[in-house]
Amino acid sequence: MPHRSSRRFFLRSSGVNLALPFLDSIPARILGSGLAVTALTPAATEKQRPVRLVCIGNALGFYPPAFFPQRTGKDYELPSLLQPLAPHRGDLTIYSGLDHGVTGGHFAIHSFLSGVRANDAKGMPEGNITVDQRAAETIGGVTRFPALTVGSEDGIHGGCMMSWSRSGTRVPPIQNPRELFRKLFVDEAAADVEKTKDQLSLQGSILDSVRADARSLKNQLGKRDQQKLDEYFTSVRDVERGIELRRQWVQVPKPKPGMKEPVNAGLVNDIPVLYDLIALALQTDSTRIATFEIAGGFEASVLGVRKEYHALSHHGQVQESIDLLLKLERYQMEQFARFLAKLKSIEDGDGNLLQHSMVLFGSGMGNGNSHTNRNLPIVLAGGGFRHGEHQSFPQNGAGRTQLCNLFLSMLHRFGVQVPRFGLSTGTLRGLELA
Amino acid sequence: MRAAIAMLAAACAQAADPKAFLSAYCVQCHGPSAQMADRRFDTLSLPANDPNTLVLLQDIVDKMNLDAMPPRAARQPAAAEKRVFIESLTAAIADGHARITSTGGQTVLRRLNRREYINTVGDLFEMDMSMFDPTAKFPRDQAVGNLDNIGDALVTSGYLLEQYLDAAEQVVEKALREEPRPQPRTWVFNSNFRQQPEIDYAHKAVWNQKFMVLYSTTKSFHEEGAYGPLYQFAEGVPHDGIYEITVRAEAVNRKHPYDPKLFAMDPDAPFRLGLVVGNAKVGALHHSQPIEPKLGEVQLGDNGPEVHKFRVRIDRGYTPRFTFPNGINESRLSFNKILNRYRHLLPEDQRNFTPGIRPARPHLLRYGFLPQIRIHEVRIEGPLVEAWPPRSHQVIVGGAGFSESRAREMLRTFASRAFRRPASKEEVDRLVSIMEKRKQAGAAPFQAFKDALKAALCSPAFLYLSERNAPQRLDSRAIASRLSYFLWSTMPDAELSRLADRGDLVRPEVLLAQMRRMLASPRSHAFVEGFLDSWLNLRGLGDMPPDRDMFGVYYSWDLRAAMRTETQMFFRHLLDQNESIGNFLDSRYTFLNKPLADLYGLNAGISSKDGHVFRKVALEDRRRGGLLGHASVLTVSANGIETSPVTRGVWILENIFGTPPSPPPDNVPPIDPDVRGSKSVREILSKHRETPACMACHTRIDPPGFALESFDPIGVWRSKYPNGAAVDPSGQLGEDEVFQDVVGLKKILVERRQPQFARMLATRLLSYACGRRMEGSDRPAVDALAAELRRRGGGMRDLLELAVTSSIFRSK
Repeated sequence: MPHRSSRRFFLRSSGVNLALPFLDSIPARILGSGLAVTALTPAATEKQRPVRLVCIGNALGFYPPAFFPQRTGKDYELPSLLQPLAPHRGDLTIYSGLDHGVTGGHFAIHSFLSGVRANDAKGMPEGNITVDQRAAETIGGVTRFPALTVGSEDGIHGGCMMSWSRSGTRVPPIQNPRELFRKLFVDEAAADVEKTKDQLSLQGSILDSVRADARSLKNQLGKRDQQKLDEYFTSVRDVERGIELRRQWVQVPKPKPGMKEPVNAGLVNDIPVLYDLIALALQTDSTRIATFEIAGGFEASVLGVRKEYHALSHHGQVQESIDLLLKLERYQMEQFARFLAKLKSIEDGDGNLLQHSMVLFGSGMGNGNSHTNRNLPIVLAGGGFRHGEHQSFPQNGAGRTQLCNLFLSMLHRFGVQVPRFGLSTGTLRGLELA
Repeated sequence: MRAAIAMLAAACAQAADPKAFLSAYCVQCHGPSAQMADRRFDTLSLPANDPNTLVLLQDIVDKMNLDAMPPRAARQPAAAEKRVFIESLTAAIADGHARITSTGGQTVLRRLNRREYINTVGDLFEMDMSMFDPTAKFPRDQAVGNLDNIGDALVTSGYLLEQYLDAAEQVVEKALREEPRPQPRTWVFNSNFRQQPEIDYAHKAVWNQKFMVLYSTTKSFHEEGAYGPLYQFAEGVPHDGIYEITVRAEAVNRKHPYDPKLFAMDPDAPFRLGLVVGNAKVGALHHSQPIEPKLGEVQLGDNGPEVHKFRVRIDRGYTPRFTFPNGINESRLSFNKILNRYRHLLPEDQRNFTPGIRPARPHLLRYGFLPQIRIHEVRIEGPLVEAWPPRSHQVIVGGAGFSESRAREMLRTFASRAFRRPASKEEVDRLVSIMEKRKQAGAAPFQAFKDALKAALCSPAFLYLSERNAPQRLDSRAIASRLSYFLWSTMPDAELSRLADRGDLVRPEVLLAQMRRMLASPRSHAFVEGFLDSWLNLRGLGDMPPDRDMFGVYYSWDLRAAMRTETQMFFRHLLDQNESIGNFLDSRYTFLNKPLADLYGLNAGISSKDGHVFRKVALEDRRRGGLLGHASVLTVSANGIETSPVTRGVWILENIFGTPPSPPPDNVPPIDPDVRGSKSVREILSKHRETPACMACHTRIDPPGFALESFDPIGVWRSKYPNGAAVDPSGQLGEDEVFQDVVGLKKILVERRQPQFARMLATRLLSYACGRRMEGSDRPAVDALAAELRRRGGGMRDLLELAVTSSIFRSK
């Protein structure tokens, strides 16, 4: 495989192959553009705990001088923003120099987990599918929820918009703890279960009928319109698959939460609660994939900062503004550290939950003040990898490396044995199992 | 010397043909004999027809801009030659892009967008949608520029289809809710008013909660006394319907001894009392909620409690809340401030008090004169039933009610209305079959019927506008749909449908008559709003909220709403009076309320007595006038904190000239804004003028942006930046087009750029009307339309009539 990391090169070579199936496996071709079931993750047993995947991101990035260490390797110093991670130093890796090579500031941060901006998606074989959704495609109903996307629905210019499906739609997040708790732990009453089954049955009938409507409509359309209508057919198929999954799971009782139903208190105060719920969701195998996006609704005033978060990210090098910005960022880092501690404290088979969960933390924004998407702030924790270092990659020249290489490594660890993901040129150099 | 010039001229001519330039300077290393960096240029085909060629061309442009190619050691082109080559490649990229996004000059199968869906469902069931949004979880519509109704861009996904299923469920169950005729009831609230934890204790201490008291505007950062709810009525009204709300309220302390600047209130304006609604299931009733339509607003006199009646529609589960639209900005901050500054106005024995907000509140309320609205009593009566069964039942099942024997006929009628054309026998059969299946599963007949209706709402026949040229032009029904979504953003009404069925809408005179009828209806507000959102991105106002410290008046004066209203009223006026579209470039009038007039620093003679009312204002001041003087435009083209000549310049190129620039080269070092020094942004951008590669685009982009630097991020005139540097709004558009400021710029636009503007406006209007991008192949028709418009005097109404009767609008 050529080691060129240029997006242009990739597009050029894949453009020729656009018509051919992207994945090598036959099941993928049969299923068409739907689920690519390359590696069905087996049901978990007590001993053989599955690998989980958690991705956390924010919209405005982190102040680079306070995030990136100067030294590399094992003996890197912890800059002020990373201080809260000190207790977990041995369980995580800091990366500098990784990115997707995109531009666009706010309008590109949504490419964080895919490497592809939404309006470039049509030219890519897998669209702008994000790594979490790519992994979710392989779950095949083994967990109640293929993936859980949590956090801010919006924010500046639409916010993080972190999770994208294969068909190019953004996966909307569950926005608050109460809703997430109910989704995870509150069983529907027996009457409601019957109602749900009845609803699913009605929806199935509706889908049969509208598919037939679409077939007869198609015959009356010109070629371009027929191609557009294909979106509709694909959608019907996708929804039918979802209905089938829900039909199976509606019979299975939900796990016991071990905590009281939370009250929503605004995003800033909800962050630790949402982290706790994600940990519980992983622990109970309700899902193996979680994404957490922090953008709209982050009220700086809750942390005693009177200015607006976005305004502060445009600090213009004014020290007072930088200090206030760091307060907001440090809070996010502290909550992340608390989440890692929580995962470590949860027994999971023959180890702990952090050992079996890859946790990615960072942002699609490299520098909020100048709106660049280069040199993204990235922390990778857990997952059974060898950690403890600051790994730095050159931003230009021969060693320049795609962030998607990290995502490919993560997919492999998750059990999805694909040759590439997004703009990857291979797996990430220097990332190995412990 | 002459020989050198001749050679240079020849070289430039060569550069204008990109392939010749490539042959001369590039192909040795990037051609048949060698392909360095895996790139080969001799096989490049122009014009570009596929994305990979575009990527390659962009690659070349980038390398040239960075002076990275040709390599130092190789033969170098002259600077002028290089510039011409870059320009011609950039043009080739734009051309290639247009080819690739081309839809053959035809509208692609276009689905209803969110706002169209809400309106259509509302009209199908004759249901009021102001408190009901079944599209709340729909994903955002994919936009092309600012246009949200372009067929090939709007995507349908599994997630959206799931939402359609859910929305259909909500809509049908709400419209056809089975319940006995509700009996009107009366609720009276005149004591124990609980509002919110922050102030309840104070109200208990001082008045035993015998009034509801409003202090702040709803735009305050801390919502204290901003929304006055009836927590005893948190569950809301029990039925959808009309309710009469009688309120006894008084304005208190409108005349007070304090500095009015503390409150950001106009001391001469009478207090206004507003009525909105809230839903306890959505969130706290004393905070703002996503759905809170304004149901009414009245003025309060100064002579003690008055009685006011509101007759309004309220949905089940919603409860009335009261507001003080021109009240205090941030009342929470007022308490301590006033107690400290005006200690001398307190009774002598009350001048020593405990500091802190909690003691301050009751203290000031007891001994001070804080402006406030006191509500003594609220009486709610209803539902007042006008028709039974409700309209939404009657329109589906008819006056006689549901009967199984007529179910098939009802389904056929509904489907034909929903599909905007007669439903086929097979389509009706499928709906009937769903109904039968549901009955077999145990559903009651009416419930089974409702379930079948839901299927129609998820059918592609409902969700998509399907249009075919039959053979050259659209048929009558397709035109009806297109016209209706253009002017009303909803399905055709009964009259339009009737004409559609008769085939009459292919006749231009009928088309025109219908257009006039529809514009005269208040429903055409959907056009004013939708088109301005799609042209000027007015819906983006508020996406980047202005900083509260720097631009507090944006909130305290409710400027977002005012800004939108100014531009919408201006547009409406040009449309109704058929005034020239040149007025968008510069005008002698606009539409203002007092807060906007104050923002603009105009002495518009607007009295505080009715300062909230919008009226036409003549503009003596040439700095305002035209869209470039509208706060809406100036705010939406800035980011709420600072302005950028590049951002505003791009906005003007896109939305006034219709010539959007190409994106910047990938590796341009971004400006990491450093606002510490006293540099003006013009100095920081000087690189644009010094670097040849940047000049090409930025000589077009920056100058109009510089002219607008005279306006701050919310449109206030300024001659200095916050850091003290002077604003220099001068620039040059083209040859002989030098201006000193925005007044000069507008003069040039009016005198020399009207044809270009007219073309842009016609193009944007046609895109909005047809749901597709206009392409190169449309240019002749657009030019002819613009010429005819000029002949008729350039009126906005004429533009609309020409658009509707054009071959572009009447073909796919």
